[in-house]
Amino acid sequence: MQPQPSRRTVSSGHPKKRRPAIRPRLVASHPATEKAKHQLRRKKRPAPPADSQEAALARTGESPLKHRNKFFSGGGSFDIPFFIIVMVLLIIGVLMMFSASYAYAYYSSKFGNDGLYFVKQQVLFAVIGVAAMLFISAINYRVLHFWSLIIFGVSVLLLIAVLFFDDRNGAHRWIPYPISFQPSEIAKFAVIAIFAHFMSLNQKRMHTLRHGVLPYVSILAVVGALLIVEPHLSATILVCAIGGIMMIVGGTPIKYFGIAAGAAVACFVVVFFFPSVLPGGVGEMIQEKLAHAYQRIEVWQNPFLDLRGDGWQTVQSLYAIASGGFMGVGLGNSRQKYMYISEPQNDFVFAVVCEELGFVGAAVIIVLFALLVWRGFVIAMRAEDKFGALLAVGLTVQVGLQAFLNIAVVTNTIPNTGISLPFFSYGGSSLIMLLAQMGVILSVSRGSKLRKSV
Amino acid sequence: MSKGPTRKMVLKMTVLMVLLVFVAFGTVLGQLVNIQFINGDYYQEKAINQQLRTSTVNAARGTIYDCNMKPLVTSGTVWTVVLSPADIDSDEKLAKIADGLAPILEIDRETIIEKGQNKNSQFQIIARKVEKPVFDAISTFVVDNDIGNAVVMIEDSKRYYSYGDLGASIIGFTGTDNQGLQGIEAAYDDVLQGVDGKVVVAKNAYQTDMPFDYETQIEPQDGNSLVLTIDESIQAFVERSLETAVQENDVSNRAAAIVMNVKTGEILAMATEPDYDLTEPFELYDSSLQSLIDAASEEEKEQVTKDVFDYQWSNKAITDTYEPGSVFKTFTAAMALEEKKVSASDTFFCPGYQIVGGIRINCAKTTGHGSLDFWGALQKSCNPSFMQIGERVGPHLFFQYFKSFGFTEKTGIDLLGEASNTGLYHKEEALNPVELATSSFGQTFKVTPIQMITAFCAAVNGGYLMEPYIVSKVLDSDGNIVESTQPTVRRQVISAETSAELCQMLESVVSISGGRNAYIPGYRVGGKTGTSQKQDKYAEDGTRPYRIASFCGFAPADDPQIAMLVILDEPHGANANGGAIAAPVLREVFEDALPHLGIQPVYSESELENADTSAPALVGLTTSQAQTKLTQSGFNTKIIGSGDTVLKQVPSQYSTMPRGGTVVLYTSEDTGQEGDVVVPDFSNMTLAQANAAAVGAGLNVRITGIGLESADAFCSKQSIDAQTTVLRGTVIELEFLHKVEENVDNLIE
Repeated sequence: MQPQPSRRTVSSGHPKKRRPAIRPRLVASHPATEKAKHQLRRKKRPAPPADSQEAALARTGESPLKHRNKFFSGGGSFDIPFFIIVMVLLIIGVLMMFSASYAYAYYSSKFGNDGLYFVKQQVLFAVIGVAAMLFISAINYRVLHFWSLIIFGVSVLLLIAVLFFDDRNGAHRWIPYPISFQPSEIAKFAVIAIFAHFMSLNQKRMHTLRHGVLPYVSILAVVGALLIVEPHLSATILVCAIGGIMMIVGGTPIKYFGIAAGAAVACFVVVFFFPSVLPGGVGEMIQEKLAHAYQRIEVWQNPFLDLRGDGWQTVQSLYAIASGGFMGVGLGNSRQKYMYISEPQNDFVFAVVCEELGFVGAAVIIVLFALLVWRGFVIAMRAEDKFGALLAVGLTVQVGLQAFLNIAVVTNTIPNTGISLPFFSYGGSSLIMLLAQMGVILSVSRGSKLRKSV
Repeated sequence: MSKGPTRKMVLKMTVLMVLLVFVAFGTVLGQLVNIQFINGDYYQEKAINQQLRTSTVNAARGTIYDCNMKPLVTSGTVWTVVLSPADIDSDEKLAKIADGLAPILEIDRETIIEKGQNKNSQFQIIARKVEKPVFDAISTFVVDNDIGNAVVMIEDSKRYYSYGDLGASIIGFTGTDNQGLQGIEAAYDDVLQGVDGKVVVAKNAYQTDMPFDYETQIEPQDGNSLVLTIDESIQAFVERSLETAVQENDVSNRAAAIVMNVKTGEILAMATEPDYDLTEPFELYDSSLQSLIDAASEEEKEQVTKDVFDYQWSNKAITDTYEPGSVFKTFTAAMALEEKKVSASDTFFCPGYQIVGGIRINCAKTTGHGSLDFWGALQKSCNPSFMQIGERVGPHLFFQYFKSFGFTEKTGIDLLGEASNTGLYHKEEALNPVELATSSFGQTFKVTPIQMITAFCAAVNGGYLMEPYIVSKVLDSDGNIVESTQPTVRRQVISAETSAELCQMLESVVSISGGRNAYIPGYRVGGKTGTSQKQDKYAEDGTRPYRIASFCGFAPADDPQIAMLVILDEPHGANANGGAIAAPVLREVFEDALPHLGIQPVYSESELENADTSAPALVGLTTSQAQTKLTQSGFNTKIIGSGDTVLKQVPSQYSTMPRGGTVVLYTSEDTGQEGDVVVPDFSNMTLAQANAAAVGAGLNVRITGIGLESADAFCSKQSIDAQTTVLRGTVIELEFLHKVEENVDNLIE
């Protein structure tokens, strides 16, 4: 096994000694060798593994070590399939957001009755986002060993700061400067980055409570608490889910999850059956919250119960999806987007997709998300190091989970929580953030062992 | 060993990936299948329901025309005013709306406020069928105050009656949803109503139109129009005269009249008096009807109210049955003639009664008519004679003809509610001597007025029983004829010869006997009077004082064109019999209807002598010139004033005045004391007395009614009330009626 690197050396991207046992891999190298490798691939495809191994071996002099210290990852090509999936989703997403938002923007004086209001901005942000993605993909992701700490710190500060800004619908989720953004978006990335950082450092000690559980639970507790205060339940759930999954992958023993589940059940029992044990008011307060949650579950079970209230969005979404049928009513022809679906450019954009493109279109998009997840995991599995693998896992899970939860909400598979659909939902800062994170995955892919098996 | 992910990590990642890709995305995909296919129709239908708004476009209800294409009933656009409280966000706004609308709609402000309290409703009707000016006023109010969707006006239609309540009982009326409820409106509802159109529009959640091309419009198909056989003018004559008769004779169970084209069965007029107001059918025309409702107990109230309105709306001419009385002698005579059971020379003896089956049956003239021939029996309407004639015909033939004349079947007139008289007449096997005897003069059985007029037409038109009808044509909305009714002969009942002889007999009834009050100079009118005692209605003291006075007549007798039946049900007054009170109604109607139909009078010499002429134009002439002219024309002259020039004449130029009357010439502006005369009271005077009184007073007299033909006629009406001061020479119209005495009480003891 590899020797445990010291914190200091890792954080500065300390190179490891090459070991004879190491398997040959293709890593970022000189532009010249990179070019040669490309030519090789183009000319001889499918390239016999032996060839590429030889080629890789020929190039494995000092270059990998050298490049790890660089800010830019060098000339290594990122994962083309992943990039293509991202771009296809982005293009379809912007297009569908345009279609979904047109009527709403057109009929609303709030947006100057300009049907193009949302798409104009979204295209701009998409361009910026793609640029950011490409730029970040070229950066050596290992710099995040260092930056993750800073990003995390900043994100905690932002999560505190956001509480002092004006609320929207009773929730403090947005900071309006420099462009309106949600600190929770940054927090998600910060959690992924810092988890990846610690886990890759403490790989050997992940089985211990002290190193494998407590740091992460503490981080999640801090971030989760701040998000709850906003309040932003869906982000809380998402952060915890991503964190939990990273812990599983990172090596936290499964038994701790069992303990956590047991503790949750215990709390539940206490709150419900022995509220008097709790300090004054706390039990009642929690019960009140749970009663509210129960109400939401009821509406979820039968959204028609509260047609004009909480059930409205869900019902309208179901109407839209059903109206689409197999082939859909055609691009631009949604009727439900005419204000029946409230804010069709946001969380419920997928309902309009289903109406306009039908089951076929919706299935294609779901498959695209599935492919993205698959490719993200493939990148993670073939990452050059555990840090990259964990980053890729966290970010992929984030996108995949968010897509899944959004579609689940839209189809009323789960109760309505405000989760946007990656690449589709309107939002400049979140789109840029999302594409930047895709850039990180691409960056990881540059150093992966991927091409070996292609 | 790689520095990349460990095998364990890769394994975990693989499991996670599979979970996320297959389980998570598989679940939502499955849910999509569920929504789009398994429950797709359910949600889709609901989606369409919320997206599409169907609004109805009312089809215009067809017009009802009279036979000369005068529109009797037309449809016009009106509006329903609807309040949408859901669109009223504040009490101030509601108050503003109520304040604004109350005066325009002339309704209580509080009513609007109250309806506005139904916060979730979008449809509170506050006024129905408002017309254009109100619509405009509300539109202006809505726009000026930016009320938007809170007050909505929906198009509707309303029936307009060109001639007021003319023909109420035949035309009928429509309900709030424009459905025909009574009369022709109900009978021809599906013809008139048309098919409503629809506009299906896609609406967005703000309820404004969506830019979609699937907006569909189903054009309304306007209702067809009807052309009636009714002649508006004749209908008006009938209603005018019948209404007067009802008032003058205190008719307590309404009166009915039918005018029919003898040869075709077309109904030219059909009236029930008194009748209700077509525009306010739910208001009772008679306060006594309201008292019936008020008197009813709580449980009965609903039923009584319904009965009272059914009574008010019913068309007596087809929905009632009555005992025809002596009018029926026409048919007994017809069957006897046709079967040659009598000849003109046969004589009958009337001692004032006849004993049949041990029962004494009286004649109307209880002192007896003595010896009468066949014509005399009809002219005098002698009951014993007709009992004898009936006996000669026998029950078998009597019933055969009774049936053949259509008295046992519905006439098939195209109106709703024709009554059946099944069970109200004696069948052949039940025609025992007493029943046959009484039936022979029209008592102890009942028929409907429409049966009677139809049979009467058959008796005088050559024997053809026609199917009466009231709608002659159905026109589509472009005026093309869709359907037209042809006269239908049911059967020939009697021969043309019998019919012709009957016509002469009936004419003689009018010209020399009981029907004389139907006499019109210049026209040959035939007819038969009838006064029946209601056998089934008793007064509190056990007597049967209730009568039906009727008259059935036709003209001209040599070529029958129109026939009319007048029925006055329960008249009150000294001389309430058919000849005295029903015949004049026919005369008044025929006097106007015959010239209207283009049937010109042909005067006999004596009639011509008494015929009216018109006053010559004399104003501006010298007195001597005027006097010469008048003398030449056979008028008398009276000059008032000392001037040389005629400044004024009474009667005025070209006005109708009697031949040989006096024209008063005024030569000074001041007519003076000499010019003013006081109108005397002519009532009950004979013609000679009246003439003397008129000359004495300095008035010209114009005689109507039977006066000139009958010495024992008496004046029943004068056109200018007694004691009125008028100018000397004024023409006063006096109506003379023949005294008809007929005692029908206790005919059958």
